Amino acid sequence: MSISRLTSHASRLTSHASRLTSLAAAALLATACARPEAGGGGPTGGTLVIVTAGDADVLFPPSGASTVCADISGLVFSRLAELTLELNTVDDSGFRPALARSWEHADSLTLVFHLDPRARWHDGTPVRAEDVAFTYDVYLDTLVGSRFRPNLAAIDSVTARDSLTAVFHFARWYPEQLYDATYHTRILPRHLLDSIPRGRLASSAFARAPVGSGPFRFVRWEAGTIIAVAADTGHFLGRPRLDRVVWRVVPDLGAGVSALLAGEGDAIAVLPPRELRERVRADSSFRMVPYAPNALAFISFNLRDRDRRGPHPVFGDRAVRRAIAMAVDRATIVRSLFGAEGEVPVGPTARAQWIWSDSIRQLPFDSAAAGRLLDEAGWRDGDGDGVREKGGRPLRFVLLLPTTSRTRQDAAVLIQEQLRRVGVHMLLLPLEFNLFEQRGLRRDFDAIFQSRNLDASPAGILQLFAGEGVRHGNYGRYESPVFDSLVHRAIATPTRAAARPLWREALETLNDDAAALFVFSPPFAAAVHRRFETVTIRPDEWLATVTEWSVPPRSRLSRDR
Amino acid sequence: MPTYLVRRFALALVTTAAAVALTFALVHLAPGEPFLAGAEERFVPPETIARLRRDFGLDRPLAAQFARYVANVARGDLGESFTRRRPVAAVIGETLPATLLLGGVALALSFALGLGLGVVQARRAGGLADAALSTVALALASVPAFWLGLMLLLVFGEWLHWLPVAGMTDAVAGPSRGWLALSLDVARHLVLPALTLALVNAATVARFHRAAMLEALGADFVRAARARGLAEARILAAHAFRAALAPAIALAGLSVPALLTGSVLVESVFGWPGMGRVAYEAIFARDYNVVTGVTVVAAVLVAVGSLLADIGVAAADPRVRRA
Repeated sequence: MSISRLTSHASRLTSHASRLTSLAAAALLATACARPEAGGGGPTGGTLVIVTAGDADVLFPPSGASTVCADISGLVFSRLAELTLELNTVDDSGFRPALARSWEHADSLTLVFHLDPRARWHDGTPVRAEDVAFTYDVYLDTLVGSRFRPNLAAIDSVTARDSLTAVFHFARWYPEQLYDATYHTRILPRHLLDSIPRGRLASSAFARAPVGSGPFRFVRWEAGTIIAVAADTGHFLGRPRLDRVVWRVVPDLGAGVSALLAGEGDAIAVLPPRELRERVRADSSFRMVPYAPNALAFISFNLRDRDRRGPHPVFGDRAVRRAIAMAVDRATIVRSLFGAEGEVPVGPTARAQWIWSDSIRQLPFDSAAAGRLLDEAGWRDGDGDGVREKGGRPLRFVLLLPTTSRTRQDAAVLIQEQLRRVGVHMLLLPLEFNLFEQRGLRRDFDAIFQSRNLDASPAGILQLFAGEGVRHGNYGRYESPVFDSLVHRAIATPTRAAARPLWREALETLNDDAAALFVFSPPFAAAVHRRFETVTIRPDEWLATVTEWSVPPRSRLSRDR
Repeated sequence: MPTYLVRRFALALVTTAAAVALTFALVHLAPGEPFLAGAEERFVPPETIARLRRDFGLDRPLAAQFARYVANVARGDLGESFTRRRPVAAVIGETLPATLLLGGVALALSFALGLGLGVVQARRAGGLADAALSTVALALASVPAFWLGLMLLLVFGEWLHWLPVAGMTDAVAGPSRGWLALSLDVARHLVLPALTLALVNAATVARFHRAAMLEALGADFVRAARARGLAEARILAAHAFRAALAPAIALAGLSVPALLTGSVLVESVFGWPGMGRVAYEAIFARDYNVVTGVTVVAAVLVAVGSLLADIGVAAADPRVRRA
C-alpha cells in the first residue's frame, strides 16, 4: 500500500514538474501564436479531446441512438432556435436565435420562422426554408423510423413560404409549440439528401460523413476509435473559440479515466461511479463541473397482473405500494451510493427540469407506519418466517434490474434489506440490458428498476405515467384520470408561474398513489481539464455551450496548436 | 501429404460451416430485442421496432432467415448491421486488420517469450530459476487478460506516462502524417495491448515448451550427441529445440482462437478498434448479422490457423504425414 502511494506521489511530482516546464514553454509559444477571434471575443484555438465509452452508431440525427451521435449532431447541425441555460421550455423567452433569427406566432396554430440569411451549409450552400420543410418530412417519415417522431405529433405540416420563411402548422394550441418545433430536430440539407431513398438515409454515406450548418464541421470518423470535428471558422453566428473537438472511444469506463489521467483526454461527460470521480478529483489537472442531472432511477411497480386479466396481487393494492414506498429509506441509500452528491427525486422529475421543487410532498420514510399499513391490508407474518402472507400467498416479488448498472444493483441490495425488515421479500433478478428492456416492454415483470434521461420539457411524464403511455413508456400501467387531467392542464397553461401549482399537484398525486419508487437522481459532473476556461454546461446537452469554451494561450498543450 | 492436406481442408470447411450454423441459431434464439439500443435515453415505440424487424426480415421463420443468410453469404453478402446501418463486410473489413495486427504481434511475441522461457527452464530444470519462472508462468496463465491489461495501463500509462493507453493512433494528429510517423504511432499504441495478450499466452507456451524440451533432452539422440562430444549449446539449439518444436507449432494453431477471444476484452480495455470489440458490442446489442459475420471470419481464421499448424507439424514430423 505504502509503496504504491510512494510510486503514485513520485509519478505525480514528476508529471507536475514536466507539466510546469511544458506549460512555461507553451505559454511563450502560444503568446506568439495566438490568433484573434473574428468577433473580437478573445483568442481562439485549442483542442478538446472527449473520452467516451461508446462509438457513434450513425451520424444522422433522426436515426442516431447513441450518446456520441447526439453530442456530434449538436455541434455539426443546427436547430432553428436554442434553449438557454435556464431550460425554460414553456414560453418563447427561454430560447435564443440559431438558424432562425426571429419567429412569431401568426395565430394560435401557426408559428413562423425567419431564417438568418447568412446561414450556410458546410459545403457553402445557403440554408433555406425548403431545408426546414424537408427536415420535418424526414423526421415524420415512417421509413426513417425516427425516435423523435412521437414528439412531433402536434405538428400538422411545415411549409416554406419563401426561401427564408418556414411556417409550422399545429393541430392544436399549447405553450410548448416553439419547444416542439425546434428542440427535437436538427435541420438537414435537402440538396444532399433529397435523392436518397428515405429508408436508406441512415445507411447512406452522408450518415458517415455529415454536412451540417452547425458551429463545427465534420472532419473524420475512424470507426471505433476517433471522431473529429473542426471549427467552422466562417460560421454565421461567429466561430467557436476552440479549433477542434475530438471524441476518443474507450469502452471501459475505468480505462477511460486512466486515459484522461494519462493526458490523452480532456473531458468526460459524466462519471457516475463514486470511485472514478474520486480518482479524477485526486488529479489537480482536472476539475469536476457539476450540472443539474436529467436522469432518474426508479422502480416501476406493475399494477396489472402479468396475464393482464386483473390487478397485480401485490402492487394492485395502493396501500401495499404506499407501505413499500414508506419502508425504503431513500436518503440513506443515496448517501451510501453517492455521498453528499446524489439526490432523492421528489417525483418523476429531475433537477434539470423547471418543475422540480424541493417542497413537493412525498411519502415519508416510516417503517413502523409501513408495517401498520401492511397489517391493515391483511398482510401479516402468521408463520413467523419473517415474510408476511395473505390468503396463503407470501408478500414476495421479483425486481428486474440491468447487469449494466452497478449503481442500480447496489441500490437494489440496500432496498432489499430495508424491505426485509418490514416482512417484504424482494428477489433480485439482474438481466442483461437487452433482455431487461424487452421484459419491460412486454410488461413481463413484478417490479422493474428503470432509469430514464428526461427531456428538458416535463411533458415527457405523459409517456411514463399517464394513461396514454400505457402502451408505450408507462411500463407499470399506472392509470389515474386525476393525474392525467392535472398534467394535461399543466401542459396547456401558458406561463410557468401558473403551471407550477398544477405540476406540483400532479406529482403529489403520483407520489400519494406510490405509482413508482423514485430512488435516486445520480450526480452529474463533467470532468474537464483545468486549462479550459469559460466552461458552462447546459444540463440537457452538456456540449451545447462548447462554442464558448476556450483555452488561454498560456495554458495550451501541444495538441492545442 | 496431398491427401493429408485435402482431408484437413475438408475438415476445416465443415468446422466453419458448423460454427456459423450454430451461431446463427443461438443468436436468433437467444432472448432479447435487437432494436432497443438507447432505450433509456429515448423510448423506442413498438411500431418502430416492428418496422425495423420487418425491414431486416426478422419477422420470417428462422429456417427461412437462415436459408436467405446462407444464400447471401454465398454471394459474399454478410448482411447489414442493425446498429451501425452499414454492410457487415465493411464493418469487419475496417476492424479485421487491427485485430490481425494485434493478434499477430501478440502471437509472435508470446512465442518468442514462451519458447525462450521454456528453454531456460528446461536447461535449469529443478533449480531455483526454474521454480521462479514456473511460478511466474503459472501466475500469468491464471490472471484474466483484461485485469492484466488494466494493471499495465495503470502503471505504464496513468502513473509513468510512458506509453499511450487508448486507441490505435494519436487522437489529434490524424492520418495525414507520413507513413513512418504513423507506423511509429501505431507501434507505440500497440505495445500495451499486445504485451497483455502475449504475456498470458507466453505463460502457456513456456509451460508446454519446458515439458517438450525436457522430453527431448532425455531422448536417445541427445544422449548420443553428448557422447559425440557436441557442445551443450549446439545440442540445445540444433537437436533438442528442433525436436521440441512440433508441439509448439501445434500450440500456435490452438493459440489463434485463444488470442481472438482474449482480444475481445483487451480491445475493450485499450480502446483498440478491432473485430473483437465489434463482436462484444454486437452480442449485447443483439446485432445478429454482425455476430454471425464475425463468427464466419473468426471460424475461417481459426480453421486457417489450425490448418497451417497441421501443415507445419506434418512438415516437421514425418510420422504425422504418414499417419
